[in-house]
Amino acid sequence: MKNLMKIVPALAFAAGVQAFSPALADSHSEMSCGMNTGKAATGEPIKVGGINGNAPPGDFSGGTDAAAAYFACVNANGGINGRPIEYIVENDQWNPELAGQVGTKLVKDEGVVALVGNGSVVSMAVNAKLYADEGVMAMASACAISECYESSNIVSTNQGPLPSGIGALKFAIEELGTEHAACIGFNIPNNGGWACDWMNRYMESKGKKGTSILMDPTAVDLNSVYLQALAERVDTILLMLPAGPAIGLLKVAEEQGGRDLFKWVSPTPIYEPGVGEVLGDYWSGHLYVNIELAQYDSDGADNRNWAAVTAKYGKEGDRLDTFSQSGFISAKFFTDALLTLDPDKIDRATVTEAIKGIVGVESDLLCGPYYVGDADRHMPNHAGRMVVYKDGGFETVRDCYDIDTAYLDPIREQEKALGLSQ
Amino acid sequence: MIQTLSRNNLIILVVIVAAIWLLPLVLNSLWIKVVTSAVIFGLAAAGISVLFAQLGLINLSQIALVGIGGWVLLRLNYATGLPFTISLVAGGIITAIISSILALPALRMRGLYLALVTLMTAGAFQIIFNAFQFPNGGEGFWGVAQQSAGAFRRPLIAQSDVSYLRYVLTVAALCIAVAGVHRLTTPGRAWAMIRQSEANAMAAGIDVTFFKMWAFALSGFMAGIAGGLLAGALQQLDARTFVASDSILLFALAIVGGVYHWLGALIAGLLFKLLPALFNDFGVSADLTLVIFGAALLHAIMTAPRGIAGQILSGFAGLVKHRETSHD
Repeated sequence: MKNLMKIVPALAFAAGVQAFSPALADSHSEMSCGMNTGKAATGEPIKVGGINGNAPPGDFSGGTDAAAAYFACVNANGGINGRPIEYIVENDQWNPELAGQVGTKLVKDEGVVALVGNGSVVSMAVNAKLYADEGVMAMASACAISECYESSNIVSTNQGPLPSGIGALKFAIEELGTEHAACIGFNIPNNGGWACDWMNRYMESKGKKGTSILMDPTAVDLNSVYLQALAERVDTILLMLPAGPAIGLLKVAEEQGGRDLFKWVSPTPIYEPGVGEVLGDYWSGHLYVNIELAQYDSDGADNRNWAAVTAKYGKEGDRLDTFSQSGFISAKFFTDALLTLDPDKIDRATVTEAIKGIVGVESDLLCGPYYVGDADRHMPNHAGRMVVYKDGGFETVRDCYDIDTAYLDPIREQEKALGLSQ
Repeated sequence: MIQTLSRNNLIILVVIVAAIWLLPLVLNSLWIKVVTSAVIFGLAAAGISVLFAQLGLINLSQIALVGIGGWVLLRLNYATGLPFTISLVAGGIITAIISSILALPALRMRGLYLALVTLMTAGAFQIIFNAFQFPNGGEGFWGVAQQSAGAFRRPLIAQSDVSYLRYVLTVAALCIAVAGVHRLTTPGRAWAMIRQSEANAMAAGIDVTFFKMWAFALSGFMAGIAGGLLAGALQQLDARTFVASDSILLFALAIVGGVYHWLGALIAGLLFKLLPALFNDFGVSADLTLVIFGAALLHAIMTAPRGIAGQILSGFAGLVKHRETSHD
């Protein structure tokens, strides 16, 4: 745990250094936010909420950081037809009681019209019913639990551990020859338990073997987890963890010379610009990561806009990871939906209807069209890319590809009904 | 003096009952949730007070017992169609039984050694909660499925947060009243004698083993009820809520609040949940409350052994006496 506490701030610092791509960060001229008027909005503020989970053992604040930057940019460029967005962000600190309190505060006391950029491991579980009861939508960005993808009023732009983890395993089976994978996650039923359970089903469906190794999130013991993986005789390790613990486990393996004993794959959390400074050369060419959105140095218009907006409007120390991209694009889709409304008739009901009316919008950050619709569950993003960690950065080894799992059956039905697939 | 104290108790009781019905009307949604949590943990603190004030026994496993009560309520909620209140009482009774079994080592231990044993118990339950998690609608004994939690049933009369706060206040008041009745009747007299001298108590014909286990059972019952109420408040539970260190903190706050009066337990609950929430709302790290709690504990140990409640009650009694003297 001490190792972990050292790594997390180091990574946060590295991620906060906004010099990861000077070319992108300098592209202010390409910045585009909302109405692009260049004049600050001065009307009656529109209250929007956001909840992140930022405390040991993980920091999921990238989504709200980027959403805050985008909304600041929107407000400086005419707002929502003259009305600025007042973005209120709360931190649930991985505490279910606190998550319930801040959710209630935002939805009932502050009367937010929607929540955008949310990222947490506990908040969605505690507040999913509240959102449904109060008719408020949450356009989340850094979701990691089942409630995010199985609730009527939550739609997340990031894939979450299930598609991203299966995406990583699909690559591992097809390209690395994986036969038996260990899914290492937190022992939280709707997080590590849920995701690793579906990993194992996926492995079985491919005639392979999967083993869950779940650890106590309050007492992370990475050495014992590593030894357990050795004892299970797996050939692949899937790091179903937030960035801090995942890097901690890689460090344990490095100390014990364990790199070549396994194939190492991970879902998206470990994909951060500053990760090279922490991992060093040892892992170069040996760590494969499924990324849920585009590479952070990709050349698409939305990605360049994300880099420019976060460089100009972000705060020092903001995380610039996949969840940041996700928060940015969530905020953009949200803003675009609000701009279709009469500014005098913006309230929770009209905003919820506008969000549910989002169907088939596209972004270079995503592999497929984004949609919400009126459904009992949402998972618009389930196709990702695969990158390999190399020389302190990441190189794409497989571009956009989807996954095949029974979990997506109801999602595929929705997409057919909305005319987004055949 | 007794008459004065009784009258003071009555006045404070009236104020608290009025607060029960007025608080939900004046608090906003955030503070309704916070006060609900504060009252729940105040009830758990009242259980600590029963053992410490009556028998001088230190129990550092109260948060674990709260978790047990919550576990039972969740399990019954998902496995049966029992009304919430029945499940709540069942959780309290099962926790009382477990607590009285855990009391067995206490029959021969006091002070630091008992504190260590109960703390290790809390640690053991922390591991169990983390390993097996809380029921969420799954099958089998543990009732845990690797999925989202199933639908939870609150009491029919307490569906909203406001009505649930009133429900919690009412249940807490009833439990504290039960503890008060114990204090004034045979168990209370037996506990007082045991505290003075176990040998004398045995010589007087008191079954020391039985009454000690009874005290642990009552304390556990209150913790179990608190756990069930917490499960109802959150509509799910997470193992991270029941770490062993929080048992130490709650015990310390029970001392700060005052273990010799039920008002002290309420103060302990408010300190435990309200103060961190205030800090969070002001954007200040809630960890700072630990510094304040440490200073408050030192203050209580050195200058206010009856806690904040004792100071309030003494001040109130002095005020009444002063007024009576003035009238005379």
